[in-house]
Amino acid sequence: MKIEKILFPTKFRELAFNSLESLLVLKKVGLKEVVLYYVIPREDVGFVPYGGYLKEEEERLREEARIRFEDWQSALSKQGIKSKIIVEVGDPVPNILAVAEKEQVNLIVVGRKKRKGPELSFVGSHTLQLIARSKFPTLVSKYMVQFEYNGEKVTRVNDDIFKRPLLASDWSEPSARALDLLKSLNGIIEKAFVCHIIGVKISKGLDKSELYRIEKESKERLEDYCTRLKSEGIVAEPHLGAGRTPLEIIRISREIEASMIIMGTTGKDRLHEIFMGSTSHRVAEMSELPTLLVP
Amino acid sequence: MSTNFVRLVLLIMTTLLPLSSAFAGGADHPNMGETLPLYSVIPFLGMLLSIALFPLLAPKFWHHHFGKVSAFWAVVIVVPLLISYKGLAVYEILHIVLADYVPFIILLGSLYTVSGGILLRGTLRGTPIVNTAILTIGTLLASWMGTTGAAVLLIRPFLRANAHRKNRTFMVVFFIFLIANIGGSLTPLGDPPLFLGFLRGVPFFWTFNLLPHMVIAAGILLAMYFAFDTYFYKKEGITVAPDDGTKEPIRLEGSYNLIFLAGIIGAVLMSGIAKWGEVSIFGIHRAVQDAVRDGLLIAMAVLSMVFTPKTLREDNAFTWFPIKEVAILFIGIFMAMIPCLKILQAGTKGELAFIINAVSEPVHYFWITGILSSFLDNAPTYLTFLSTAIGGFYPGVVESQAVSLLIKENPLYLVAISAGAVFFGAVTYIGNAPNFMVRSIAEEAGTPMPSFFGYMIKYSLTILVPVFILITFVFFI
Repeated sequence: MKIEKILFPTKFRELAFNSLESLLVLKKVGLKEVVLYYVIPREDVGFVPYGGYLKEEEERLREEARIRFEDWQSALSKQGIKSKIIVEVGDPVPNILAVAEKEQVNLIVVGRKKRKGPELSFVGSHTLQLIARSKFPTLVSKYMVQFEYNGEKVTRVNDDIFKRPLLASDWSEPSARALDLLKSLNGIIEKAFVCHIIGVKISKGLDKSELYRIEKESKERLEDYCTRLKSEGIVAEPHLGAGRTPLEIIRISREIEASMIIMGTTGKDRLHEIFMGSTSHRVAEMSELPTLLVP
Repeated sequence: MSTNFVRLVLLIMTTLLPLSSAFAGGADHPNMGETLPLYSVIPFLGMLLSIALFPLLAPKFWHHHFGKVSAFWAVVIVVPLLISYKGLAVYEILHIVLADYVPFIILLGSLYTVSGGILLRGTLRGTPIVNTAILTIGTLLASWMGTTGAAVLLIRPFLRANAHRKNRTFMVVFFIFLIANIGGSLTPLGDPPLFLGFLRGVPFFWTFNLLPHMVIAAGILLAMYFAFDTYFYKKEGITVAPDDGTKEPIRLEGSYNLIFLAGIIGAVLMSGIAKWGEVSIFGIHRAVQDAVRDGLLIAMAVLSMVFTPKTLREDNAFTWFPIKEVAILFIGIFMAMIPCLKILQAGTKGELAFIINAVSEPVHYFWITGILSSFLDNAPTYLTFLSTAIGGFYPGVVESQAVSLLIKENPLYLVAISAGAVFFGAVTYIGNAPNFMVRSIAEEAGTPMPSFFGYMIKYSLTILVPVFILITFVFFI
């Protein structure tokens, strides 16, 4: 699994270009092309009550997007990275998924690049829908975030995101694929971390001996993951946590000063998603770090 | 914000509801229509002119602020009414909201939701025969799934089928004529004005009286369409349909939504047949069967949402935006039209007696309802002229009784009003809500559509109006 082609949908919000720039380091590990994508929301130009369609407005938005993208393209070509511009009218989530499928990208980069204010979640509803439905690895980029830490307001800029990645594994197949993706980043990683959380659901009601057995097995698996990373030349460090999984992952990420979190994500059915949520989505929502989810 | 809003609503309700209840037993209160001044219809005219002019003159402003414009006209009339008529005004406002607006939006919303869950897939090639067949099917469906529903179902497949054709504009125009308007004339489900008539006591199957009118109008238009399409097809030099190698068999996805559609038809039919007594909601008496119908319609829409995969709706480019627009605009229309309806219902005792005196024959009703429906939305226009007719024949009589008498003694008048409202909705883009939706979807798909006046001059006046003149001579003179 190698990142050669990225889909970069944008709404041209503040710091979007900085976020794109922070991905250019991937050139060193094989990035060849970036698809710059803008969806003009259908409601912005269509269904004018009793009026029809704002054709001129669509043309204006298309031209604006083209001019902005062409500016970005020059920065990409300076780095020797090919790029392609797509501007469409439609519904953002299904359109992004359809373009990802059509272009056969290796990574989709979504999320607001600057998140300030009192929101509890770092992720918007469109991003949540995308990460729940994407068949492709999806990076929830959070270039600049403001959050509370130890009672203080902290502003963080995530500009060197591949430096200290934390892989949070639950030993599932998507986690194994996340490991493969991590291995492909050899060359831009300073140090990688692998963690596993013995969740409350597992530890609750178990006797001590059974818990020790799980702990031992988890440590062995963590070592195995680290060994596999080391065999690719990536320095890796294991961490075992216990408790509420999303909170533990975030705690560890802060302790080790991780630069991003990588997780496998399983396609949960709709009902499960509504009532239970998924660990990976919760982490993407709650962590101030960019979160790379691998299906 | 939401807590304050809830508090405000509760305060208004607790203050005004007792006032409304005091008038609850008084049925129609014709004295309000007799005392309202002529200028009280200005907000209604303002609302309708806003709908007619803003999309033409300031489309971007209108797109972003139509809700505020609607609210403005509603407030402009509601506040003076409340000050002048107090409890009676509260009663009339609640009555029009609960008895007309809410069922109207529930029906449109449920038809829109259910038909938006049906997707016609497959490779259709737009030949004259295929296109005429699609238009015929759509015309037949429109009376059962609503003009909006039939348009939602067929417009995208129709456009896809003709993507290779050079001349597509006239196709979409005929689509608007037939599927978005004339096809909806047979049942109250077909077109909003007819449902408003149904809510006021017109029996469900009575609208079948429009069948001969519909058959003549649709028959002529379909024949004309076939002739035009054949001409352009030959002119474009298409001898064999292009084959890009991706031929997909025609199939209907989400067809279980047809069950929910049948549920909607059944619920509306039931409310026209059953007599289960009355229930008082905020002091407004509503038939139990009507409340049950509304509940069933909501249930059908919810079931459709639950059972239809999200991806299917996405492939249908389903969005709530058009129905939200209708809901927002129509609350303003319904509020602003109260004085107009009341004055007209007062007959010659009201300030609009000159209209009632001027409109005396079915032919007048057909053309005046029609012409106004062309430029104003046809639903409020229908109600206005229904009120004019019952005000003229039966001034002061309770509305539901007056409607029954009109059907029994002067049915041609109601036929003329119904046909005028439904058929003439096709004359301009603003005549009927689905027109602008079809136009919007066609333009998004790259089909050039004529301007407001271009549509009228090139198509309506030259094609539709002669058909309506023929209908006038056959049925109304």
